[in-house]
Amino acid sequence: MEVWGALIGPLGFAVNSLRRRGFHSYLAFLGLALTVATTTFLLLLGQDLATRLGIDSSMRSTFGISWLILAYLVLALALVSIVGLLSSSYLVSSMINQRMRDIGVIKAAGALPRRLLSYVTFEAFVVIFSSCLVGALSALLIYASWSWPSVSLFKQVGPVPNAGASVLIVVPLISFLLCYVVASVRVRRIVGSSSVNAISKQLYNLDLKSLGNPLRTKRFGSAFNLATRNVSRDRGFNRTLLSVGICIFLSTVVLSGALVSADTSTSYVVRAMPPHIIIVANINIYNQYVTLGTSFSRTAPIPSLDYVNESYMISRQNASAFRAIPGVETVDTRLMTMSSITGFVKAHFASNQDTGENINTQIIPEVDTGSAQALIVGIDPSNAIGDWYTSDGFLHSDARYTMIAGDSLVGNIVQMPLNLSQVSAFGFRYDVKSALVDPLNAGRVLYAPVQTVQQNLAVNGYNVLLLKVNSDPAVLSAVTRLASSFGLVVGSQDPILNSNLAFLNSTWSHIFLIPILALALTCGILLSYLATNFSRRFNDYVVLKVLGADVWYRLKLLLWESWGVLAISMLIAIPVAWAVSIFFLLPDPSVSVADLELSTLVSALALSSVSVASATIYSRRLGLTTVKDLKP
Amino acid sequence: MDSQDEETEVRAPTPAVDFVGVSKEYLVNGKPIKALASITLNVKEGEVAAIVGQSGAGKTTVLNLIAGLEKPSEGDVRVLGLDLATSNEHSLSTFRSANIGFIFQSYNLVSTLTAEENVELMMELAGWSDSGRNENLTAELLSMVGLTDRAKHLPAQLSGGEQQRVAIARAMANDPALILADEPTGNLDQKTGLEIVKLLLRLKGEKGKTLVVTTHDDRIVEMADVIYRLENGSLGSVDRPTRVRS
Repeated sequence: MEVWGALIGPLGFAVNSLRRRGFHSYLAFLGLALTVATTTFLLLLGQDLATRLGIDSSMRSTFGISWLILAYLVLALALVSIVGLLSSSYLVSSMINQRMRDIGVIKAAGALPRRLLSYVTFEAFVVIFSSCLVGALSALLIYASWSWPSVSLFKQVGPVPNAGASVLIVVPLISFLLCYVVASVRVRRIVGSSSVNAISKQLYNLDLKSLGNPLRTKRFGSAFNLATRNVSRDRGFNRTLLSVGICIFLSTVVLSGALVSADTSTSYVVRAMPPHIIIVANINIYNQYVTLGTSFSRTAPIPSLDYVNESYMISRQNASAFRAIPGVETVDTRLMTMSSITGFVKAHFASNQDTGENINTQIIPEVDTGSAQALIVGIDPSNAIGDWYTSDGFLHSDARYTMIAGDSLVGNIVQMPLNLSQVSAFGFRYDVKSALVDPLNAGRVLYAPVQTVQQNLAVNGYNVLLLKVNSDPAVLSAVTRLASSFGLVVGSQDPILNSNLAFLNSTWSHIFLIPILALALTCGILLSYLATNFSRRFNDYVVLKVLGADVWYRLKLLLWESWGVLAISMLIAIPVAWAVSIFFLLPDPSVSVADLELSTLVSALALSSVSVASATIYSRRLGLTTVKDLKP
Repeated sequence: MDSQDEETEVRAPTPAVDFVGVSKEYLVNGKPIKALASITLNVKEGEVAAIVGQSGAGKTTVLNLIAGLEKPSEGDVRVLGLDLATSNEHSLSTFRSANIGFIFQSYNLVSTLTAEENVELMMELAGWSDSGRNENLTAELLSMVGLTDRAKHLPAQLSGGEQQRVAIARAMANDPALILADEPTGNLDQKTGLEIVKLLLRLKGEKGKTLVVTTHDDRIVEMADVIYRLENGSLGSVDRPTRVRS
């Protein structure tokens, strides 16, 4: 200790100053280290998850659903990075503000501004550098000790190449640079300002406009009155509100975004394969339909089958017989077959990318976009049971040579814009009208009018019927009897749907680590931010203690101050975040009210517990102070 | 007990502060440092006690012990009849807010509150919830210290002397039986210091308060009923100038 004490120059100044400020120095260091550690860890975890889910979903799932999941992950990690970096800069700014008076005193004592600048900046450098280093090392330790093998996804996918090293270097480095720049600018501004302002920092920090009649609200008591005066007269109140509000807004978008994305992806699957639907088909086609339906959630190969074998066909009359059973509401008649298809982009005039205007002199010839095996489903658009999410609507009965492409075909066989895309199947050209999200054959599917498919394949009838019936068990019995009289089997679509939903739920359960940890990160950041803000009024709190404010009074005062700021921020940030998540994140979003209520409650509880924790920690700290801790 | 004794008993002022063999040790870098060594002192109600001595002699420690902000390492501390050594923090806080007024060398007003709010705060801490009465009393106290026109100013907008006068008004706000002042003129010039001394004299004369003042200021020492001289944590001498004068 004495060795440090004897040091002179920037290092001695920094070490002595940090030692003397004790608790306040630790608070700034801990806040910064925590922010850097959790941001780095979250990015490492998110990157790992994205890689593993990407590999996993390339073997199953559909392009649309995978895109939705990965897009959410990218957005979440981007927002987490912003929260981490913004918070670090807020913390540094708050840390430097606490030093304003000391800087003013040293300057007034005759220190050369340039030397003072270098000394104080070096002190900030010591805190920032050490906390970024400790933060990066802690993130590495937590990441390394994470028990990947115990999580099914990680067992399944196995080791993946990741760019952890770059995250581990880039995040702490950017945090360090940003914090250092913020600290330098702030110190430069204080050193450059009048010493009088800096010395009388209390006046400098107070909003004199809000001075008026003293606020006397009996209902919440004296601690509330004092807290409102403290908070409302703080010149930095609006800035604090904005900083805290942005943190809460971004982390709520991460949380609500996950819920909206999970609910929406589930709704896409449920809309394509609604529950309580009965499948009627020949046993081989039935088994094939189950395999095709569950290819979204399983990696089993699709066996080859002669879909249009005569014995698998269900005639129009037989289909009508099902329609005639009382209690059968809809009969969705389908003719499906696996076929090789070729994609084309039609010849068209070149257009200006920015204006969409055609440039008549330049014609782009037709382009072959390749061939692949795809499931083609002939369907009666007027009796379709599915209510798919589509980009441009579903089929019309009168548009005969049109198709709707499954999402996994979009981007390779079927190119955007869809109105220029064509698909060749069975030797005929179909225009692609729209794209849909469909788990059938993992999205490698094309829907066309059933009459057209029948004509192209020269068959009469269908090979799968999907029936929507009422809940009367007698109807199911009647359907089963009729089906067996035609040599067909009956099964429910629910097991297929459940298998797909279980896969989606399992995927989202891994991803939900990100919003939960992001919320924890925000809580940690706000905890240090509020505690650092308390440090600015440390002297006032000690005065209150000396004058006779008991533990409860001090705790209530700190609670009102911290919770007040959080409550106002939450009141603004949480509804805005929800609105953004619901209206701007995804097309045709879906979110359950229960999810909305639960996440709002979780956020409010987590953030309120932050105010309780910060008030308790600081109140305990105040319990250890004596009148000797009062600054002259 | 005969009637003569009873009369004497009634007339004798009861002790406001009673220290018996009080010692206080601090650990500094793991080493015990004795701040006070077996001090015995006794300040009666209505008296002004001055505690003098060089910096580091233990004056502030005595005030902290009287206020219950610190507990003695050894000995008994009784203030206004309460045994502080055995009281918990909650009862000490309640005791302070109800019975003790503080005047600090560095004023230590709450920076976010105006002069009148600083005074009113003390009433709120003492549990006085009648805001109308508090308001009137605040105006009265600020008028007493001559700061009616500065009532709505923040501490940082007031001069040192004005801040100390607000501190005196605050110290009177909860109508305490005992006022503790830690070098109240230490940060002030001669003239402003004199104003503060006059105010303290009024507290003694008009309000009949018990005052314990640590000071280097001879003007305050002169008005004291009893003077305790501390030397390196030990009680050097006790003077009762009123007896000398009488």
